[in-house]
Amino acid sequence: MTVKVEKIEGGIPHNTIMVAGLIASVILIYLTYANVLTGTAYFSFFGGLATVAALVWGSHAIKHLCSYGIGTGVPSAGMIAFGSGVIAMLFATKYGVAAPIVAVIVAAILGAIFGYLANNVLSMRIPVMIISLIELSVIGALTLMGYAAMMTGSFNLTALTTGSIAILGMSLPSYYVSFIGGALIATVFMLGAIAIQHPFNACLGPNWTQDRMLTLAAECGFLSMIVAAIMSMALIPMGAALISLFVAVIGWYYTYAKYIELSRRDAAAWLDSKPIPDVEGQ
Amino acid sequence: MSAVAAKPTAGGAMDVTATIIGIIILLVVIALTYFLVGPGLAFMALIGIIVGGILVAFGVHFVPVGGAPAAMGQAPGIATGVAMLAAGAGLAGLFGGAWAAQTTDNLLVIVVTGAVGGGLMMAITCMFVTFIYVFGMGIPNASGKVAKDPITGDTQTEYKSQGTEGHGLPFISYVGGVIGGLFGGAGGTLIYIMLLNLYNEELPGMMNALPAQVLPIAVTLAGMFAIGMFLVNAVLAAYNITGTIEGPHDPKFKRFPRAIVASAVASAVCGIVAIMIVAV
Amino acid sequence: MVESIVFGIGITALAGALATVAGAAENVESDIGSQGDPNSQVQLAPQMGYIHRIFNKAVAGEPPAYGLWIALGAGLAWAFLAMQINPILALVLGSSLAVFVQGVYATTAYLGRTASLAKFGQPVYVDILKSMTTVTMAHAFVAIFTTVTMCYLINAALGHPFPLPLLGIVWGIALGAAGSATGNPFYGKERQYQNQKYGAGVPIAASGNIVRFAEAGERNSLDNGWFSARLGGPASGVCFGLIVFLELWRTVLFEEVGSGWGAIVMGIIIILVFMVIDRYIEVWARKNYGPFVKPEETSS
Repeated sequence: MTVKVEKIEGGIPHNTIMVAGLIASVILIYLTYANVLTGTAYFSFFGGLATVAALVWGSHAIKHLCSYGIGTGVPSAGMIAFGSGVIAMLFATKYGVAAPIVAVIVAAILGAIFGYLANNVLSMRIPVMIISLIELSVIGALTLMGYAAMMTGSFNLTALTTGSIAILGMSLPSYYVSFIGGALIATVFMLGAIAIQHPFNACLGPNWTQDRMLTLAAECGFLSMIVAAIMSMALIPMGAALISLFVAVIGWYYTYAKYIELSRRDAAAWLDSKPIPDVEGQ
Repeated sequence: MSAVAAKPTAGGAMDVTATIIGIIILLVVIALTYFLVGPGLAFMALIGIIVGGILVAFGVHFVPVGGAPAAMGQAPGIATGVAMLAAGAGLAGLFGGAWAAQTTDNLLVIVVTGAVGGGLMMAITCMFVTFIYVFGMGIPNASGKVAKDPITGDTQTEYKSQGTEGHGLPFISYVGGVIGGLFGGAGGTLIYIMLLNLYNEELPGMMNALPAQVLPIAVTLAGMFAIGMFLVNAVLAAYNITGTIEGPHDPKFKRFPRAIVASAVASAVCGIVAIMIVAV
Repeated sequence: MVESIVFGIGITALAGALATVAGAAENVESDIGSQGDPNSQVQLAPQMGYIHRIFNKAVAGEPPAYGLWIALGAGLAWAFLAMQINPILALVLGSSLAVFVQGVYATTAYLGRTASLAKFGQPVYVDILKSMTTVTMAHAFVAIFTTVTMCYLINAALGHPFPLPLLGIVWGIALGAAGSATGNPFYGKERQYQNQKYGAGVPIAASGNIVRFAEAGERNSLDNGWFSARLGGPASGVCFGLIVFLELWRTVLFEEVGSGWGAIVMGIIIILVFMVIDRYIEVWARKNYGPFVKPEETSS
């Protein structure tokens, strides 16, 4: 990707998006705690909404970092975000109700160290490297925790590692049929890692616009939430999974339509079955 | 790329202060782990993870990757991204190593099986790259960075087509690719097997279950951490070579000491977190 | 004992065959979408004044993108299997839903990249979006279904310890890496720049001047699909098929020999064989294609 990325200012400042994304995703993850308080799984969909908030923030953080030209592709930034995020998130699930906060702190420490290594030891000297990798690690951890909360109804290690399997009508506990035992974490790892880098990777270019990229980020989040909701059917009661699916489909349809509309606004022309326009004068 | 080109200072030199701080962080993490868990299995796991991370980062420097220009025959190397190509090879190695870990307890056999798996993936892929260049596009291999192939002694300049920096995979790059696959496979497998042994030991007590029951948990946790750490190390190494490299003969290869320090620290920090899930 | 080995070899051969199909479909899919590294030229062309009708679907590089499609197909299949759905149905359903996600990503990538090129006058072609996305989805389904099925066989029949989604992420990234390494130059150089000199790399000065006209009319990415299917696709398929087949073959047959060392020795022999073949091809090319005229100046 040798495309020259031009810095475009304007729109919502990055710090606003960062603070809003952080607060929104942590609060939304905590709202899934209502499952524990009420003894149901119907509030799981808040975990999915938390991933959407985190991914919107994440796409802008990637934009912030990659506008400096990091020498390798945009997707690698998503990979390092989730590579460190998964470690922080799994560690944090040990701490019960404090898990989201612990995840943010541990991920921030990991990100700070990686940023320091990249910037100083590897001599990259990118001004926003450290803060960006802190943000990306936190986003990775929160996104994965959001998916975990959405697909299991909880965010502590016991819930993530135990499930139940129905044999001949009886429900038996099983470690294999669980979020971690079945390695669904590997799937949501890739879902998040692609969804976080795609909005910027797809929208980069001279006519980049912020609202279009952020809409796309929300669209990617809801799209990932649709499939996560389908996978969650194996782990949580069908009713709760259907609520997640319903929320995800509505959100996805709205953002997808909006994104197409914004692309139409920004595109040079919107043609159907037309030849290459004559641009000899250029 | 533009910003990188604009900063020639980001060249081969090592930042001494930063390196020393990095090594101090590394020692602190090692000492902290020793202090927390003692000289047992968990401490050995940390050492194994650090060694594995170093192997991954070192291996990435061997893999000949040309990025986008390689797809047009404008620069030598494989036409894809360095971090992900290394990940492809390393994870194929991890696949083999994890399989071998089922039948044997011999650490050396497991790690070498993983290494060979990674090397095999790269050997076949690089052979097909040459195949496509020669039989599909009629282009001979030529390096842009050296006048003679250090292994075969073939001269390169007269096979380089006009207006390009070379193309294809000269034999040195091929060998580099295989070595990179070997290191990547070995490193990924080492991280996996160290964590797997630790989790197999600790999880039954922690979760109050039989070892056979928690095996899927241990396998997934170890596998997921191995993939996560592999990607972190591979991306850091890719940052070090700024995206493209021809192989061990490329001048950029000499930057590897920086990446070794960085990946040792990164692996240690990830490792202590991964160990503390079960140990504390 | 013998029976189990024969069974293992059968599964190995089947997995290798599935991988071959997957590799071929993956490469054709990504070339129709101009995904991976040749994408840079499709992106560059309008900036140089060459407006085109090529599909520009930059979801991500091929390895991470296929890491997602396969891991997603595998994860969904795993979930359906956990819900006691018949394995074949689970695999098909999982792959279909993964293809839905792939299709949506393809459309947003094309719209996003093209809208961001408005400054250079590159229009969005709705007909391209409709006809190319469906074709890439079809190819992606073949690639995803075969790879997920292969992972299922490796897990269920050969007894690999990794659960299905973890195998999906491993083999998905490997599939993308093998396919992009093998297929990208063939599409990037040979098709996009077929107006340039044959048997030589594209001069850097020619970057962006991609071929935009077909035998009749204007070229679209379907024209690139059949071109890739000529050599790049099959070669990628054989490449990935050999990787999977030989990796499984050496383990299934030689795992027990010499307490694990048998598989290692076999692997090293295979690596050396491929090294010799590579060297043979390289020398053959040097002999037959002859040296180019020595460039006067190689400042780059």
